[in-house]
Amino acid sequence: MTDRRAALWTLLVQLRAVFIKEVRETSQDRRVVFLLTVAPFIQLLVFGFAINLDVDHVPTVVVDLDGSPEGREMVQAMLADGTLAATSPASSVQEAEAMLEHGDAAVAIVVPPGFARDLARGEPTEMQVLLDGTDPSRSGVASGAVSRYLGERGLDLARQRLAAATGGERRLPSVEVRPRLLFNPRLSSAIYMVPGIAGMLLLIITTLITAMGLAREQEVGTLEQVRVTPLPTPVLMVGKVSPFILVGLIDVTLAIAAGATVFDVPIRGSMALFYALTAAFLLNTVGMGLFISTISQTQQQAFIGAFMLILPGLLLSGTLTPIHAMPGWLQPITLLNPLRYFLEGVRAVLLEGARLDDVAFQLGMLSLYGVAILVAASIRFRKTVA
Amino acid sequence: MTGAGEPTVIEVAGLTRRFGRFTAVDHVDFSVRRGEIFGYLGANGAGKSTTIRMLCGLLAPTEGDAVVAGFRVSTEPERIKRRIGYMSQRFSLYPDLRVRHNLEFFGGAYGLWGRHLAGRIDEVLARVGLQDLDDSVTHALPGGIRQRVALAAAILHQPDIVFLDEPTAGVDPVARRNFWSLIRTLSEAGTTIFVTTHYMDEAEYCNRVGLMVAGRLAALDTPAALKARHVPGRVWMIRGPSLGRPEARQRLAALPGAIQVQTMGAGLRLRLSADSPVDADTIRRALATVVDQPVEVEADEATLEDVFLAVVDADAWRRGTAIARGEGPP
Ligand SMILES: Nc1ncnc2c1ncn2[C@@H]1O[C@H](COP(=O)(O)OP(=O)(O)OP(=O)(O)O)[C@@H](O)[C@H]1O
Ligand SMILES: [Mg+2]
Repeated sequence: MTDRRAALWTLLVQLRAVFIKEVRETSQDRRVVFLLTVAPFIQLLVFGFAINLDVDHVPTVVVDLDGSPEGREMVQAMLADGTLAATSPASSVQEAEAMLEHGDAAVAIVVPPGFARDLARGEPTEMQVLLDGTDPSRSGVASGAVSRYLGERGLDLARQRLAAATGGERRLPSVEVRPRLLFNPRLSSAIYMVPGIAGMLLLIITTLITAMGLAREQEVGTLEQVRVTPLPTPVLMVGKVSPFILVGLIDVTLAIAAGATVFDVPIRGSMALFYALTAAFLLNTVGMGLFISTISQTQQQAFIGAFMLILPGLLLSGTLTPIHAMPGWLQPITLLNPLRYFLEGVRAVLLEGARLDDVAFQLGMLSLYGVAILVAASIRFRKTVA
Repeated sequence: MTGAGEPTVIEVAGLTRRFGRFTAVDHVDFSVRRGEIFGYLGANGAGKSTTIRMLCGLLAPTEGDAVVAGFRVSTEPERIKRRIGYMSQRFSLYPDLRVRHNLEFFGGAYGLWGRHLAGRIDEVLARVGLQDLDDSVTHALPGGIRQRVALAAAILHQPDIVFLDEPTAGVDPVARRNFWSLIRTLSEAGTTIFVTTHYMDEAEYCNRVGLMVAGRLAALDTPAALKARHVPGRVWMIRGPSLGRPEARQRLAALPGAIQVQTMGAGLRLRLSADSPVDADTIRRALATVVDQPVEVEADEATLEDVFLAVVDADAWRRGTAIARGEGPP
């Protein structure tokens, strides 16, 4: 064997030693194993179902104090589009209020006595709607549904009345209220959420574990022992992070598979492109983790440091809030966030079937940032230990 | 092996390390020959670990240089690493890994693999007497055993020089003795040992001992030569009741040629200069009026602890920062 080949062989032996050691050490820690395997799925399911932002089937109790066909028809019409779903009816307003209080219903619709009579006489009549305000987004949607319906109904009645009075069909000037949700225009579907959750999982798991892994070696004192061996720093770093990159890739694969089966997330583009984006994104998370560990003395500091980065990283990525819905001054900051490019790229590939040209920018930015942060981390690492 | 007539494997010249304005190691010079057991003694913060870390290539010297196993620490620290073993002051194996897995990792870090590595692991485990423990989880082992595992990890790659930074700190006396017999076996096989310690009795096992005081190497020689030079004269051990009275101490300190009076358990230990006329009878007479019963007086030997205290005092005296200890320098 030539010297060159011998040196290369030594590097491989060293890399393998670090990799195996890291796997063995990690598998000793049940909490970490849980964090890497089970937790991602719990998160995926919880987020997938819980952040289902479509508000429908709001439990609604009906108090019909009039008992007229007109009243019943009105209530049926209100429940028709599925936003509101009737629970067992109540016989008095008090009873309905109690149900609201106990959480058995979130909306109560009260048809007052004499409703049909007043309507027939053309006198103003009131229909009372009680809303549970503890969940503002739900009560907002419910009141929107009720008032939208009542508004239309009122207009209809007016139109009929006018027609009857003037003996012909007349157009009424009408104002249409079309509510637009400003902050969650499309987020309402799990399809849109799953790529976000995958990115979030990668960000949390790989950043945190990388940051804490090196900090632990520093804290326990093993780093000093490693540094006296001829193991080169880059080999140590690559060996330490590669098991978690693999785990990250597996987690993401499973998350997408689960998303496809449970939430019908489409996979329209190429998986190779998806993995390319994922790998480029992982350079960033691992680089950040390493960087954090170089500025921390203990695992606790590394943990806090990682969270200080992960939280804004999540909030300013477009995972939970679309970027165009953020305040104007905040939007440019998201250009610094690798998760933003990962999300844009992955959503485009999975949901829209984007090709390489379409996501070249995102892939380029991810690689650029990834290499930059890794270089910065290596420089810092050399400095701290010298 | 004593190292006499052997080639020099560590050559230190003007080695200095500053942390900001604080000088942890201050122009240290010495050399160590092959196969020597070289002891490095010093109080907390004296600069022992800092010296070792520079010699291992972990820390760059601020000034001066050292040649270790033929390579300069300032310019070729990476080449030194293959030739030396190091046991840091903190326990530094992976606590969650089994003993064998720890050794596999460190062997791999030195580029060892396959059957050769497995053979080396069996060999070092047998050498430190732990062949049955290779499947134990490291953190579950008692301190003394863990130190032996750490030693095994440090000699896996057959280094020429082994640096041991307080390898027996916090270990029970039996385990300490076992550890030192391991160190001797290693040295007999030609490995050079550089060891720091807090335990003065351990320093007696060393071929030569360097005393560090506040970053400087205040004395360096064989234990016998250090005693002859720094604590010449005789030492008497005095035992008996009522020696705890301050007058007893005062009487002894007032004897001609008295250098130091120490309390040792229930007795007193008196160190005299070489030219002191005082003998056992003089001591008995001096104490006769202050103690109720006759005391027992017997000749004792100077220890490295005496040397250490004498050197520390002399150093403090030289710097004009002598603390009032009731005892002057020699
Ligand atoms: N990285 C560092 N930065 C700043 N000061 C340091 C650093 N390392 C050591 N020191 C200081 O240098 C001095 C010598 O430390 P060193 O660890 O060499 O002492 P030591 O003789 O090994 O003591 P001990 O018996 O406690 O191990 C101490 O005062 C220590 O606080
Ligand atoms: Mg020390």
